[in-house]
Order: sequence, then structure tokens, then C-alpha cells
Amino acid sequence: MEMAHLWGILFLSLHAMVPITLAAIGETIEESAGLFNIGLEGILLLGALAGALGAEASGSASIGLLSGMAAGALVGLLFGGISTTLRGSQLITGVGINLFALGFVALMLTILGAPGFHSVSRDIQVPLIPLGVGNLSPLVPATIVLAFAVWWLLRRTQLGIWIRAAGDNPGAADVAGLPVNALRLGTAVVAGMLAGLAGAYLSVDWFGAVTKEITAGRGFIALAIVVFSGLNPLLALLGGFIFGLFDGLATWVATYPGIKKIIPWQFVAMAPYIVTLAVVAGGIGRVRFPKGLGVPYLRE
Amino acid sequence: MANSAIDSKRQTPKTPVHGQILLEARGLSKGFPGVWQHLILDHLDFDVRAGEVHTLLGENGAGKTVIANILSGYYGKTDGEIRVKGKLVSFDSPRDGLAHGIAMVHQDLMLVGAFTVAQNVMVGLKAPPFSFRLHQVERKLDELVAHYGLQVDPRARVEDLSAGEQQRVEILKVLFHEPEVLFLDEPTSLLTPQEADQLFVVLRAMADEGKGIVFISHKMREVFAVSDRVTVLKLGKMQGTCHISETTEDELTRRTFGETVPEYMERPAVYSDKLAIKVSHLIPQGLEKKAPRSGLSFTLRQGEILGLAGVAGNGQSELIASITGLAPPASGQIIILGEDMTGGSPKAFIEKGVAHIPERRREMGIVEQMFVAENVVLKDYRQTPFSRNTVLNHHEITTHARDIVARFNALVPDLWDTECRILSGGNIQRLILGRETWRKPPVIIASHPTEGLDAKAIRHTWELFLELREQGSGILLISEDLDEIMSLSDRIGVMFEGAIVGVVEGQNADRELLGHWMAGTAAEAA
Repeated sequence: MEMAHLWGILFLSLHAMVPITLAAIGETIEESAGLFNIGLEGILLLGALAGALGAEASGSASIGLLSGMAAGALVGLLFGGISTTLRGSQLITGVGINLFALGFVALMLTILGAPGFHSVSRDIQVPLIPLGVGNLSPLVPATIVLAFAVWWLLRRTQLGIWIRAAGDNPGAADVAGLPVNALRLGTAVVAGMLAGLAGAYLSVDWFGAVTKEITAGRGFIALAIVVFSGLNPLLALLGGFIFGLFDGLATWVATYPGIKKIIPWQFVAMAPYIVTLAVVAGGIGRVRFPKGLGVPYLRE
Repeated sequence: MANSAIDSKRQTPKTPVHGQILLEARGLSKGFPGVWQHLILDHLDFDVRAGEVHTLLGENGAGKTVIANILSGYYGKTDGEIRVKGKLVSFDSPRDGLAHGIAMVHQDLMLVGAFTVAQNVMVGLKAPPFSFRLHQVERKLDELVAHYGLQVDPRARVEDLSAGEQQRVEILKVLFHEPEVLFLDEPTSLLTPQEADQLFVVLRAMADEGKGIVFISHKMREVFAVSDRVTVLKLGKMQGTCHISETTEDELTRRTFGETVPEYMERPAVYSDKLAIKVSHLIPQGLEKKAPRSGLSFTLRQGEILGLAGVAGNGQSELIASITGLAPPASGQIIILGEDMTGGSPKAFIEKGVAHIPERRREMGIVEQMFVAENVVLKDYRQTPFSRNTVLNHHEITTHARDIVARFNALVPDLWDTECRILSGGNIQRLILGRETWRKPPVIIASHPTEGLDAKAIRHTWELFLELREQGSGILLISEDLDEIMSLSDRIGVMFEGAIVGVVEGQNADRELLGHWMAGTAAEAA
């Protein structure tokens, strides 16, 4: 195999790593505070649509990414509000977000005149960094830096102590004078923002299009990776890279002349999901989650 | 405040003059809206002075915890005024209390298990969000530990500590803020008598430094061991404050409970050869690592009350799970009324005549979302006359439930309209006691049966147990409350680390010996 192939696979992998890792890092933050948002997939999808529309309306890729973040933050705020102040079921709310996103995005694509597919023109996509051996999205290094930053935030700052206390023992946090629900709401908004960014990355950077299947279960894979990581953002980065690697390999295999005649592409496309689930399942059982995860907090 | 709290070099210590009033409440009232609207606290006057240990004495539900919660800022008050060193204040949150030098150690442990001791202290730190002062906190905790002799490692993970150590972490947590007034809500409930004595030494040392300590308790022995002054509360009303030297145990008991609780309840001799429970070499599930290899062995005759004392977490819950069928034992044999029931289902144990009054009554004793009447027949609904051919007989159930509610004085608004979750712990316990004992079962396993009941109800329950004993029930009484164990038991055993470490006749029991057994220091005592 030539070096060019290796570089190709590595770049494909890094690009595939980004959306999953961004969503997983956001989810890590909110799960640390005690919220469990199963609606990541829906936020990704809404972020992808909002990103494309934002970029098209403004003619700028950055505005596109920001639009995705804003849409995600809004959904995060809704989820956080229902889970904290209204003490609703986090599971039902998350499922609701997923179902809403599916229907809403399909509807919007139809309204935009292209049922099922809406492409984003090249000149408003995120410009890639040319590296000689290939072109890299600026979101790849950003994601890696973010993983380290969030690790530092959760493990080495006062704010991290507060967030984790709100997740593990909200009663203790309350007695210590912390605004438990405000902390939780804040993490929900940040998590929504990151998932929205991940979605916008799909539409205005990596794929350059919106389809109603664009997320392809990446939100759920991100949830699985959070479980595997035991709420450690650095392990989430690793988990994201493993998925990305197999996704990259699959794309490469599926497009490499000769191989696709031997192995049907559907099987190759399955590989990253199966491998990720296997790795994640191997990691479960060793990790400890916050005691207050998924339970609304109410002062008696 | 934020910086001084972290500074390991104490700034000019503001030692108050001994006897100065640090905290004062006048006409303090608190009402909770609800079905039975009444004042939880009824115009109380209360003060704490520098250099004293002031005990708040009262039975469960007297309002002791509510006072502490209001004066430390956790609850709001309905009426009255609070002064700190003469200055009128109002608290909106525990932080306001802390800012005025008032802190509270809650009865329930409020700790983050995944954190170390120092990280738990950091939860309450007023520091910039992106700072990280772990090392400074650890150093200051080291100093406090040395100063008060508290024996806690600030770097240990809280989950790995024993209940007694966690209690000390709670105290360390509030001491970190250098409070002038410290409320401790029943801090000894998880401690052995020896650990409690150590705690009293620490409290005394803090008082001698000029702090005002408020100690909340319902145990008479502790009141006399540690207090300077004592305030008695009964159903939210003051029963007076006095110096400990001016009162006697009998007088305080009368004021608190209305009547004297006997040391040992007299009872006629009952002797039966029939064994209610025979347990041989039992190792309950979950104790495989902790318990000695020989396991647990004991017998309980019919017509006998066997008390099992011990600090929570020494295998009592696991033992109960084994002998009620909730979890099959890891090894050993369980014989109930002559039949080998090892590994039987809970239903098999119920049908054999084993009544179970569980420790976590809300989780295990009732179904909170079901109505009172449904909970009363929770174990009998399969039988006539409560059901026939799988159809429930509403009328029979109502009659029966009304009877149980009346006989056990449970305060319930309606049998078929009241979900059990809105009832108080004491009323839930009355329903459970009624449900488990009305058939006069041959075997009763009772865990903390009187927790949350008032003195009159406790007395009724004890008399009921003695009556059942005379009629031939074998009663296994598991309790942390030594008073209860010593008043009721024909024989007393002590559980420590999954084994029964000693058994004595109830009449000859001696608190100190039991305490040593509970602490696992029997050898030193001998």
C-alpha cells in the first residue's frame, strides 16, 4: 500500500472522528452534572439543517457553524428546562427531540424544494487547511484541543467540582449553597451547543449537504462512547477516533476499485458501528457514573 | 470571607467572650401548608452562647431539625426574628448562614462519594470557577485534623470510608469555614458508643475555644455526657431551657416523652421447645468476603424475643434478606418452624408465617403510589375473604383496612383516596405494623420497628410485641437503638462484620459490653 493511501485513510478517520467526539464531549459535561440526553441524534440533525441554512443565508461558513450551535443550544435549553425546573422525564424528552428532528428536517427539506437532499455550495463550506499530504478541516485540531480543555475543566477546576457534585449528590451540592438546577441547565445548553456544532460540521464542512439520514446514528454512537469513556473526555476522544478509523477504512474500502466488487458495500458500511459497539461493550462495567444521573433534583 | 476561609494562616482569631449570645431567635415559627395545617414550630425563643454546648432534646417530629435548618439558612421561616450577635439578619440560603458564621452538620450524610474528603470541602468553596485550590484545602484540613484530633485523611475517597469516618468528614467540612455556631443534627446516630464519646471530646474542645455548639439528640445518656444547657421541645413547642446541673434524667425524660421509658420491660416467662428460626453456618449473599468462614448460627424459640444490636452495615440487611427469601444465601441452612426454607422465595416465607417489618419502610414496606387500603392487604390479597377467584373484594378489604388503621392509630385522611407516599414515616410504620402482626404470625422479623414513632406509640408497639411473644411468636428484633433492644429482648446478640460476636441474657445486658462488641473491641474490654 502506498503512503498516499495511509494519509488518505488517516484524514478520512480524523474527519469522521469530529462529529461523534464533539457530541460525546458535550454529553460528558451534562452527564457529569446529572443529565442524560438521549436526544443527541436529533440535535445533530437539527444542527446540520440550521448550519446549512445559516451558511446559505449569510454566505459564510462560520455563520453556518454558529447557526448550528445556536440551534443546538436552544434545544439544549429546552431539554435542560424540562429536566430541571419542570422535573420531566429525561428519557421521554430525549426521545421527543429525536422524533421531532426527524420529522422537522424532512419537512424543511421538502419545503426547500429538494426532498431528501439539499446540497451546500462549495464556496460557503468551511475552508480546509492544505497540508501537502491532504486537506484538513480546522475542526479536527479544534476537537482535539476541546477534549483536553474539557478534561481540565471537569477534573482541575472549581467549576468542575461544582458540576460533578451536582451530578453525584445534588442534595450535598444544594446544602453547600450551589444552584444545582442552574448548573445543570448550563451544562445542557453547552452540550446542545456542541452537538449542534457537530451537526453543522456535517452539512457545511464534511459532507457539504443535508439529507434526512445525514447523522446516520452518530448521536447514538456518541452516547455509547460516553458510556465507554466513563465521563472522561480524553477517552471519549479515543472512542471517537476508533469509530472514525473504521468509518474511514470503510469509506476507503467502499471506494477502492476492485474491493467493492468482492465485499458488498453495505457490509463495509456496517463495520464502524459493529466495532464501536464491541469496543464500548468491552469497556462497560469498569466505569462509575454519577449517582444522581437522570434523576431530577427536588429539595424536600 | 472567600479568601480568609482558604488562608492556612488564621487571621486575628476573633474569639468571642464566653457567655456572649452568638445567635438568638425570638418568636420563631414555621408552618408547612398541607392536609393537617399546623405550626411545625410555635413561637420559639432560643439562643446559643459562646463556649457552650446547648442540646436540643425532643422526640422525632418535635421540630429540632427544623429549628437547625432555619437558623442555618436551609429553610425559610414563617414568622419571628433571628439575630446574630444582636444584629437582625435574614437568611435566604445556607450560604447566608455560613457568611454569618453559622454552619450545620446534617443528620443524613451529604457527601459526594466519588470525591476525596478535600474535594468534598471544595464543593462549598466560594472560589473563582477556573481556580483550583485542592492543595491549599488539603493543607488546611491537615491542620484542622491535627487541631481537633478528628482522625480523617483529607486525601481519602469518601466512598471508601466507614459511616463513622464519613460523619467526621461532615464535621470537618463545616469546620473548614470556621463557624462560630455549629449545629449538629443527631450526629451520633451512625456511631458506636465509643465513637460518640470521642465526638463529645471534640465538641467540648470546640466549645472551649469560644464556639457555640448546638447538639441535637433524643438520647438521654448523650445529653448528660456533653451539654451545658438543654432545651426541650415537644411537638414544635418549647418545654423550657435549663442548665444541665439543674435537672435530672427523670425530669428531662418526663418533659420530653411525657412518661418514663422503662429500662427492661417485665414479662412472664414463656418457654417453648419449638424453634421459630434455626440458622446454621449461614453466609448471606453479599457477605461472602466479609463474614467469617464458619458463618452465622443462631436459634430463635417461639415465645422469645431475640435482639440483634450492631452498627448499621455489619450484615444485618443481608441477614434479613436471607431469612425472608429476598436473596438466597451464599451458603448455610435456614430452618423455619422445622422446615428447611433455604433459598425459598419471599412468597414461600410469607406463606410459612414469616412476618417482615423492613428497615427502609418507604422502599420495602409499602408501595408509595398505592392507596392505604391496598397497602394494608399487600400480603393478604390472594386469600379469602379479600379476594375470590382472582377478583378483589372491595368491601372486605375496606372493612379490614379500617380496622387496622383504627387499632394502630394511623392518621390517614382516606383509605381509598390517599396514596401512601404522602403519609409521614410514623404513620406508614403504623400501617406496616398492623399489616404484619394482625394474623399473630409465628415468626416476626422486625427491623427498627419503632423508628419515627412517638413515645406513646413506641410503648404500644413494645406491649404488642410482648403480647405476641406470650402468644407464641418468635420475634427477631434488629435495631441500632440499644434502649429498644435492652428493653425488649429476652436475649441480645451483637452483629459485627457479618457474624454474631456475642450473646447475653437481656436482663443481664450491660451497655458497655454491648458497645465493645458493636465496635469490634471485645478483646480489649475483657
